[in-house]
Amino acid sequence: MKLVIENLSKSFENKEVLRDINFIFEDGRIYGLLGRNGSGKTTLFNCLNRDIKVNSGSFYLDVNGQRREVTPLDIGYVLSTPTVPEFLTGREFLKFFLDINEDSINEIKPIDKYFDLMSIEPDDRDKLLKDYSDGMKNKMQMLINIIAQPNILLLDEPLTSLDVVVAEEMKQLLRTLKDDRITIFSTHIMDLALDLCDVIVLLSHGDLEIVAKENMDSQEFKKRILAALREDGHE
Amino acid sequence: MNKTLRMSFSLKNTYRVNSILYSIKQIPLIKKLLPATLYSVHGLKVFANIISVFWEIISGLLGKLLYILLMVVVTGGLYEAAPKDRLFVHMLLFLSIIGAINNTYMFNPTRDKYYAMFLMRMDAKEYTLINYGYAMLKMFVGFLIFGVIFGIGAGVPLLICILFPFFVAGLKMTVAAYSLQKYKKKGISIKENTLGKPGWVLIILLLAAAYGLPAAGFVLPLSVAVVFMLLTVLASVPSFLKILSFKSYREVYQDILNQFLNQIDAAKKVKRNMHDKNISADTKISSGKSGFEYLNELFIKRHQNILWKSTKKITLVCLCLILGALLAFYLLPEIKDKTNELLLTYLPYMVIVMYAINRGTGFTTALFMNCDHSLLTYSFYKQPKFILKLFQIRLREIMKVNLLPAMVIGIGLALLLYFSGGTDNALNYLVLIMSVPALSVFFSVHYLTIYYLLQPYNMGTEMKSATYQIVHTITYVVCLNIIRFKMMTIVFGLTTITFCVLYCIVASVLVYKFAPKTFRLRV
Repeated sequence: MKLVIENLSKSFENKEVLRDINFIFEDGRIYGLLGRNGSGKTTLFNCLNRDIKVNSGSFYLDVNGQRREVTPLDIGYVLSTPTVPEFLTGREFLKFFLDINEDSINEIKPIDKYFDLMSIEPDDRDKLLKDYSDGMKNKMQMLINIIAQPNILLLDEPLTSLDVVVAEEMKQLLRTLKDDRITIFSTHIMDLALDLCDVIVLLSHGDLEIVAKENMDSQEFKKRILAALREDGHE
Repeated sequence: MNKTLRMSFSLKNTYRVNSILYSIKQIPLIKKLLPATLYSVHGLKVFANIISVFWEIISGLLGKLLYILLMVVVTGGLYEAAPKDRLFVHMLLFLSIIGAINNTYMFNPTRDKYYAMFLMRMDAKEYTLINYGYAMLKMFVGFLIFGVIFGIGAGVPLLICILFPFFVAGLKMTVAAYSLQKYKKKGISIKENTLGKPGWVLIILLLAAAYGLPAAGFVLPLSVAVVFMLLTVLASVPSFLKILSFKSYREVYQDILNQFLNQIDAAKKVKRNMHDKNISADTKISSGKSGFEYLNELFIKRHQNILWKSTKKITLVCLCLILGALLAFYLLPEIKDKTNELLLTYLPYMVIVMYAINRGTGFTTALFMNCDHSLLTYSFYKQPKFILKLFQIRLREIMKVNLLPAMVIGIGLALLLYFSGGTDNALNYLVLIMSVPALSVFFSVHYLTIYYLLQPYNMGTEMKSATYQIVHTITYVVCLNIIRFKMMTIVFGLTTITFCVLYCIVASVLVYKFAPKTFRLRV
């Protein structure tokens, strides 16, 4: 499976944020999307998630050579600020989600199994989500997004608000989830990207570009990424 | 001093000019014509500056004009027996004391003060005194002009009219100096715009003195008022000196602005908490349903406070009013004829009543803040079939919530009509019973439809659509103006019912056609 982006452009008023992007993301890999502040990472995600209209270009899924549209159900989008419906408990949110998606989810497990997967404590499962900490909200959001097993998982700065233990758990989880799906992970933290991601992609000058690691050690690689990012933003 | 003066005005002006430009940018259609670099366009800046200066003058003068006109002249006109000149002085005197307690001008926590004194590190004392002086000057001019115009109109001698601005300034300075003194001596922090209980009691007493005493036949003699005013002016001299010599303005403002800034910084949090608070923490709430009905039932149950509980209270009040009216028919049979006539000609008033008691806006706000705000970030929730299914469920719920008081009012009005002497045309009863619930259904459909078609908020729960606000304003203005139609109940009622039915059909079609595209988070 491939996510193919062709000639994608997006501008706000006169500012061109994404410029004629052509890129192919492949399944089984975690892509680390690096870019400077304001480089358009979130804009790219919003375009893929169809939250905003693109000015031109298109993107589609290529499944064994068959081309098809990306549907909302193909995408799981985990936002940097965790958002969960505050008036439900964790268990209720999960039940609601499983209820309405029962046709599309293979092998629905008992609800507690899902909580176990995310190591959400039994005491917390029946609390209102408004009383969850940010880290726990983040886990819930991630959980909902992975149960549906989307073909494309977009993660916008997802680990920044988590404590080190939870962040490590999440990283581990993402690694186990990467097979059969395209994971795109945007972050500002280079070490995190290097640690977790298989491919580093820079978003600079409105275009996507892979930084080839070749035989560099990680210090050299970092220098190269920094150099590439520095060029951006001072046009 | 001179520099502080210039800087503080230019700061305030910049702040205001940018606010004006920002508001212009919010207007639909016009915003498309404006460039993104709007804040640096010279012509626009000049335009906004003119508006800003204009606004400064208008706000100073218009405020005083309306104040004296409404609070003294118009209200004073209601007291026929009292001598006009004494009444004018009496009311203005007591109201001015309230104004001085309420608002000294000195301690208003505003953003420009924060920017000037803390971000830009301007000299706090100079800055405060300049701003204070300017505010007092504006007040003085406003009072002088309109005090003299209306005062002379009421027959008050010119000298007394001229004394008024001095009196008000003196009072305000004395209250401010007293606060400063309290702060210096006891470290009691100063709070403007927030009165404690004793403050409110005092204000109620003063209001009673201003409006109650004349009704009871007592109005201050002019001589007493003049002596009081002169004494106040004399007493304000030490206050004036106190204000000039006070050194710790920075400290005082640190304190005041801290309270205020906590509010700004936490504004979003406060907003969040406000909506969180609407969620019932009752752990017994549960639902045996599944899917969207499950989601909906939990939502309705956990938002009882703003939905069912409040609609039940409203219904109870309506019920009491109707029963009260029936009792009044029994006790005072002579009001029956008048009521009967009102019922047959004043149905348009029901529009504004139904507008006021409708829970639609509270419902849609809670829907967004506590539910859709988060769920709309999930792809599964945005599938067209789910959006429409949930729309149906929500529409059904909000109609139920609103229909309860509407049915009571509709049936109540029909009963009142019957017991106040009835009508020749039996259709009138039916129209009363039907049209009020029809209005209620209309408002339910209306608010939910515009919410689904315009979904105005973004991820950060900021309102992003001026169109949405404009539609709300138009709704209000239209409702308010319908009152002016004097129409036979039967005609108005039938028109209303027809309109509501048509509106519901059109709205449903629009929602089915567009909501899957429009019902998403603004970016």
